[in-house]
Amino acid sequence: MIIYIARRLAQSVFLVFGAITIVFLVLRVIPGDPASLILGSQATAEELEAKRQELGLGDPLLAQYFRHLGEVLRLDFGESWRLGGDAFANVLERLPATLTLAGYALALTLLIGFPLGVHAARNTGKAVDRLVSYLSLTGQALPSFWVGIMLVLIFSRMLDILPATADGTPLALVLPAFTLALPFLGWLARLVRNGTLEELGKDYVRTARSKGLSERVVFNVHVLRNTLTPVVTVLGLVLGNFIADAVIIEQVFAWPGIGSLMIESIVNRDYAVAEAAILLIAIFYIGLNLAVDVLYFYLDPRITLETV
Amino acid sequence: MVSTYNRRGFLKISGIGLASAYLAACSVGGGDSGAAANALKAAFAQPVNDLDPHGPSSVDESTLLAGRLIYDTLIRRDGDKLVPGVATSWEQTDENTWVFQLRDDVTFHDGSKLTAGDVKASLERVKDAGTAQSALWTSVSAVEAETDTTLRITTSEPLGTMPVNLTLMFILPAAKMNEPGFFRKPIGSGPFRVDGFTPSDELRLSAVEHWGGKPKLDRVTLPYIPETSSQITALRTGELSALWPVPPDQLRELEGLDEIRLETIPSYAYYFNWFNCGREPFTDPRVRRAMWRAVDVAGIVKNLFGDGAELMTAPIPSTVFGHAPQEPYRHDPDAAKRELADAGLADGFRTSLMWFSDTGPLADALAQAMISDWAKIGVTVEPQNVEKAEWLRRLNAKEFDMDLQINTVTTGDADFTLGRLYDSDADRMGYRNPELDTILRQAHRDSDRGRREELYSRACKIVWDDAVGMFPAALISTYGLRSTVEGFEPAASNQPDLRGVTLAS
Repeated sequence: MIIYIARRLAQSVFLVFGAITIVFLVLRVIPGDPASLILGSQATAEELEAKRQELGLGDPLLAQYFRHLGEVLRLDFGESWRLGGDAFANVLERLPATLTLAGYALALTLLIGFPLGVHAARNTGKAVDRLVSYLSLTGQALPSFWVGIMLVLIFSRMLDILPATADGTPLALVLPAFTLALPFLGWLARLVRNGTLEELGKDYVRTARSKGLSERVVFNVHVLRNTLTPVVTVLGLVLGNFIADAVIIEQVFAWPGIGSLMIESIVNRDYAVAEAAILLIAIFYIGLNLAVDVLYFYLDPRITLETV
Repeated sequence: MVSTYNRRGFLKISGIGLASAYLAACSVGGGDSGAAANALKAAFAQPVNDLDPHGPSSVDESTLLAGRLIYDTLIRRDGDKLVPGVATSWEQTDENTWVFQLRDDVTFHDGSKLTAGDVKASLERVKDAGTAQSALWTSVSAVEAETDTTLRITTSEPLGTMPVNLTLMFILPAAKMNEPGFFRKPIGSGPFRVDGFTPSDELRLSAVEHWGGKPKLDRVTLPYIPETSSQITALRTGELSALWPVPPDQLRELEGLDEIRLETIPSYAYYFNWFNCGREPFTDPRVRRAMWRAVDVAGIVKNLFGDGAELMTAPIPSTVFGHAPQEPYRHDPDAAKRELADAGLADGFRTSLMWFSDTGPLADALAQAMISDWAKIGVTVEPQNVEKAEWLRRLNAKEFDMDLQINTVTTGDADFTLGRLYDSDADRMGYRNPELDTILRQAHRDSDRGRREELYSRACKIVWDDAVGMFPAALISTYGLRSTVEGFEPAASNQPDLRGVTLAS
């Protein structure tokens, strides 16, 4: 067990290192640099060159890379040229908003998706079952930025019952969280439905029924608990997806999270902020994956070191 | 059975996790009473990234907008007049010396007094900042605070634009401006104090006693909403009380609504389409003029922008000091073809047009409309819609055939664009004209309004007749205001003075 965790941990560290390297390279390979954005469209070649030297962009790429690695280890990404102040602090300041959005979306996914899936499993072929199929299909097929804009048009502009942008009230969470949750809602419902059906066909259910247990007890005590296990582990991955998907949703709803910060920092070649934000998201994603893997191991004793 | 126990334990933990996520969700924002009476929530279309008025964002409209509310300047702009700010009077004692008399009743938000020493420190800071605004101050050689209320600025060569440039020079407290973290909650002497600031997200201000009178509003919140449709929705539902500038293609979403008033003002922003005059075939002015005649500029501006822009009559907008109307280029594809033939290009040629989508409203549509008109005279133009950073790099390196972009005359004075872009030394688009250089440099040095006006009218004519670029549309800013908002005066600079705004309940 400990060996397994240690091995996965080592792999994760390697992944984070890879993410740092790729982000560093991609940001510097794409044309345009902070010097030209700082000085604007009327800069002279000399001014640009001086600014590049000042920012350390004139050094060889390898030297810049090693300096960057040192910075990352100290969690000091340097100053944001565009926002002023420490880049990592700027990103951390925006983190709670993204986590709140992701947490709320996760709650919505569970509270709607799970009961819907169970209900569909108990009513196979009926209306609710078909609804789950449609929901999971359309939810995943519709691009979320489009869904977001449509929801704003319907619920804010036409019906005027929910705010269109983050105005500081809890109500402002409803539309962005729902938009974020929609693709996973139907997906979770399908997962629960299929898992439940599979469990219902197993021997222990027949045994329980033959013992004379009521259908309610069979379902709630035996079947549901077994269905829940894979679902719970999968939720970790969903949460990771939420944090990554929030990049688009935050833009639509003016949500002050790290997603919108990241987009603007890339467009404006604010390397320090972009690197800090992407690294944070990568660590979240990798961390959640690691947690899920460990959980599998923990929850299902049949998984051994040989089988993983 | 151990695993069952573990699973149950785990489910409990995940239940707790969920509950806490829910609680966290409910606690966001909390009791922000932004909707309280006398608090204005207004959105400008661009984010305020940095409150440092001398830093990398020093000529961004959004930073200037915030700066006007938080800080003071020596001289202010009121319509097209320059009026006293912290300086009560100023005189040019010789062509390289300016002396300013300052008010002695100006205090910063922390209660300390604003003196000539603060102005000196601020001007020296912006001059040495190495940012876009620093270029305005290169000829300043010395700044002396003779007394607390007398300031002397010496220049190495005459700077006729001194007064107008000073409308951009925000005064910071010398003792505090270099403290780390100062610009997260900066202290100025303007009519509003900073309550809170999240870069590129939201700026919260509250009114203070000001030498120019206390603002009628108590509080102002300036959120940034990136998505246009969300901006419009927020104004329509009353989440916002004011929004500007409304993009031309969104105007009809706000027209004819009782609760929303639209006010317009011609702005300092305009589109130009530069020809790289250092590259074949645009070295030949006949080719450049033919390109202009080939495009139905009047039709395109009217159809695309409607009330959102006006047809330009000079290489700078009509709102800018130094504007002098010129003879329009009439749409005439046949004449354009003849001119191309005269230049030895009877069969047309291939070239490219570079722009980035966010440069201004309807940039993509404008580019496409021009490209299809050029195709009709046999000129094949490859559209190069690039990203902003790449566009900037290529612009600065002069790696383009044609460049379509928005330009803003930030100071409202022709020197800011004509003087800085079309001088041979600036070398922005390969155009060289010694006669124009002489005119522009004279106008830059002179401080006499009448003479400058005359010089810029000659400069306008040269740039226009030589077709250094095409000058299609000057933008008209539309301000969307809720009917409850009173006393809100639209500004050509997009930086409205909010001191007189009131909110009816």
